[in-house]
Amino acid sequence: MANLRRVSQVIFILAFFFLLTRTQYSGKDEISYPVKIFLDLDPLFSGLLLLSSYSIKPILLLSLITVGVSLLFGRFFCGWFCPLGTLHNAAGEVTGKVRKTEHGLYSRSLKWKYVILVAVVFSGIFSMSLLGVLDPLSLTVRSLSVGIGPAFEFLTRGIFDSVYAHAPRAIWRVSEAIYGVLRQYVLAFNQPHFLQATLLGTLLIGLLALNLTRSRFWCRYICPLGALLGVLSKASLVRLRLSDACDECGKCARACPTGASPGIKDEWRKAECIFCWNCVETCSKGAASFGFASPRREEGRIDLSRRAFLWSAGAGLLTIPLLRISPSLTKPHPRLIRPPGALSEKEFLRRCVKCSECMKVCLTNGLQPTLLEAGVEGVWSPMLVPRVGYCEYSCTLCGQICPTGAIKSLPVEEKRNTVIGLAFIDKNRCLPHAFNVNCIVCEEHCPTPRKAIIFEEARKAGSDGKEFTLKLPRVIPELCIGCGICEYKCPVSDEPAIYVTNINESRSPERSLLLSPKK
Amino acid sequence: MDRRDFLRLAGAGIAGAFLTQLRTPLTSATTLASTSSLARAKEASHPTFVVAHGPAVARNLRSALDALGGISRFVSKGDIVVVKPNIGWDRVPEQAANTNPDLVYSMVEMCYQAGAKKVKVFDKSCDDPRRCYVRSGIADSARKAGAEVKFVDDRNLKQVDMKGAVLGKWPVYSEALDCDKIINVPVAKHHGLSRLTMSIKNWMGVIGDPRGKLHQQMDLSLSDLARFFKPTLTVLDATRILLANGPEGGSLKDVRTLNTLVVGMDQVAIDSYGATLFGLKGTDLSYLVAAAKSRIGQVDLKKVRFTSIEVT
Repeated sequence: MANLRRVSQVIFILAFFFLLTRTQYSGKDEISYPVKIFLDLDPLFSGLLLLSSYSIKPILLLSLITVGVSLLFGRFFCGWFCPLGTLHNAAGEVTGKVRKTEHGLYSRSLKWKYVILVAVVFSGIFSMSLLGVLDPLSLTVRSLSVGIGPAFEFLTRGIFDSVYAHAPRAIWRVSEAIYGVLRQYVLAFNQPHFLQATLLGTLLIGLLALNLTRSRFWCRYICPLGALLGVLSKASLVRLRLSDACDECGKCARACPTGASPGIKDEWRKAECIFCWNCVETCSKGAASFGFASPRREEGRIDLSRRAFLWSAGAGLLTIPLLRISPSLTKPHPRLIRPPGALSEKEFLRRCVKCSECMKVCLTNGLQPTLLEAGVEGVWSPMLVPRVGYCEYSCTLCGQICPTGAIKSLPVEEKRNTVIGLAFIDKNRCLPHAFNVNCIVCEEHCPTPRKAIIFEEARKAGSDGKEFTLKLPRVIPELCIGCGICEYKCPVSDEPAIYVTNINESRSPERSLLLSPKK
Repeated sequence: MDRRDFLRLAGAGIAGAFLTQLRTPLTSATTLASTSSLARAKEASHPTFVVAHGPAVARNLRSALDALGGISRFVSKGDIVVVKPNIGWDRVPEQAANTNPDLVYSMVEMCYQAGAKKVKVFDKSCDDPRRCYVRSGIADSARKAGAEVKFVDDRNLKQVDMKGAVLGKWPVYSEALDCDKIINVPVAKHHGLSRLTMSIKNWMGVIGDPRGKLHQQMDLSLSDLARFFKPTLTVLDATRILLANGPEGGSLKDVRTLNTLVVGMDQVAIDSYGATLFGLKGTDLSYLVAAAKSRIGQVDLKKVRFTSIEVT
């Protein structure tokens, strides 16, 4: 069975990676693979949605599978399916398994993940989502697609590019053929660049490196999803049995990755067990085995005292005022340009799980993770950074992919009319305004059918003394949707002479800029 | 490995790197081909360009080329041909922001009929190239006609000295240079700065960034481009033209269907004729005046022999 579990892990991690690489435009307006299905299976997401909006997206009902499996059989999700769990196993192979017997035995510090779960749930009930930062699937997708994936691409491209540039033809012809296949099936269309790539990439590597202290450190002490599934598995029907052949050699405990105390009679902890079958596999006496049995009270227990529970809930509640006293909600950062279809900021923050799928799928790489632009509460949520990439006029991918509906999936016609910001011209830097030099690249690229950037003509004397017509751009605020292509293409390439801020965005009617007569 | 071995190996590596730097200087076969065809045009007394009007774009192209002496006058057996449409924008054909995909299909097809070995179709798009290639319909139609359709690979942008009045060293897409023939297939449409974009401005799609800088010296830069990329043939697509809010457009109200092609060799004269489709004269476009002044072509249509044909 342990081998079967390994096969399952390999299959699912490959599927996970495959879907992650497919999370990009594929030539159709709609995403063609179920690229976010791993996220859909996360019951914490549907729980969060229920708590925050009293609604549920139909696709998230898939997470009932996870719930059902845990209720009936236990935390198989963690041992057999979870990509982060599998990465931990892989990291364990790399770091080597020098384990002590007590690492496989239950210890009180394992309860920290329940503390985290309770804090997340209670802050969730009272409208704040801390989940995104801590959810294992969010974390994995985020660190891989924002940090490690792009780093891997950078390396790959670097290698193939230098072969192409320097190697003799015979060699680069072969390497280019391989590169072509990689570009088609594995790599992104363009090298992705993300703010905080280093931080988010290092974060995952760091978490995996904690395997050096305890195997599956994350799963033991932190993971709120593992905690939830542990709670759910209280009454599940699969149990570890120890026969009388057991001579308490402790091998199984050394093999146990999560501290479930497999080798001590009546001490096995169901809520900690991820059913990896290591203990059964390692037992030379054949004394350990899993089998169906009606649940027993004591094996499902979780040592979270009432006092600790209340403290955790209180801590969860306290984070709300602590994070919300930041002025970011009342006075949003002007450059916090949310993707089109994003709910009002309050609603958005409740639902966004910071999975970064929208950033991964963004055609232009313009969607970037925030750091503190949206307050600590909104860390790693998406914002458009037009200098890096603009919002493509007819693209609706980010709304399609958002697992929780924080970004609504808009029909393309509605998306084109959704305002995410407003462009402003810096006349001190704009070539025609500041230097009498013709340019209007912004006007050229403006995608609205009636251009939101127009120009006025003025006769000016050139440096040669001859008169010429100068075209001076101006933004029409009623037409501008804030897509940012003007800022992206502005030839004043350091600090652009036209830039977008989020005022006038359609999701916040109270922040519309101009007072105009009703139609 | 001892030090001697290491040095030997390193030396060989460096020498190899140097040798590969000497690889294939850029050839500009297109230049030769086009000038000679221009010369031949005069000899054979074919018109400079032909205006073909009719309901079917394929027949318009064929008739126009027949009136110019046939495609074999321009494309020879074994040629590697670049067909350069405008695939600049994420727009559908009805919006007239890109070259008509059916025209690209026919153009590619005719090149193969003339015996071309390979036809390549590409453009450095302004919007996301993936969406432009798909939504313009051009990737699909060109592939159906057998063309190689690839995105512009920035690694193949080579610094080339254009020796122009304003354009010196500039990144140019090497596939537009390493070919036997290059056929320009632009669409005629409105443009804010230059008023109209047609054949000459279409060359901005085979050079690298910072392209937007060219706007500062539009007239001179366009002349430089037209002088540098001498096309074998120019096919100006006026099947649908965009009258306002160009070059990207979007509203069908700004589109007019003319079912017209202007086919020939003198890109200045062709653009000058193109201007008349918008109710302007060639001399209203300062970049055409500048191009004519630097003897790239004839802006004065009175001095050009062209024929108009009605195709059924």
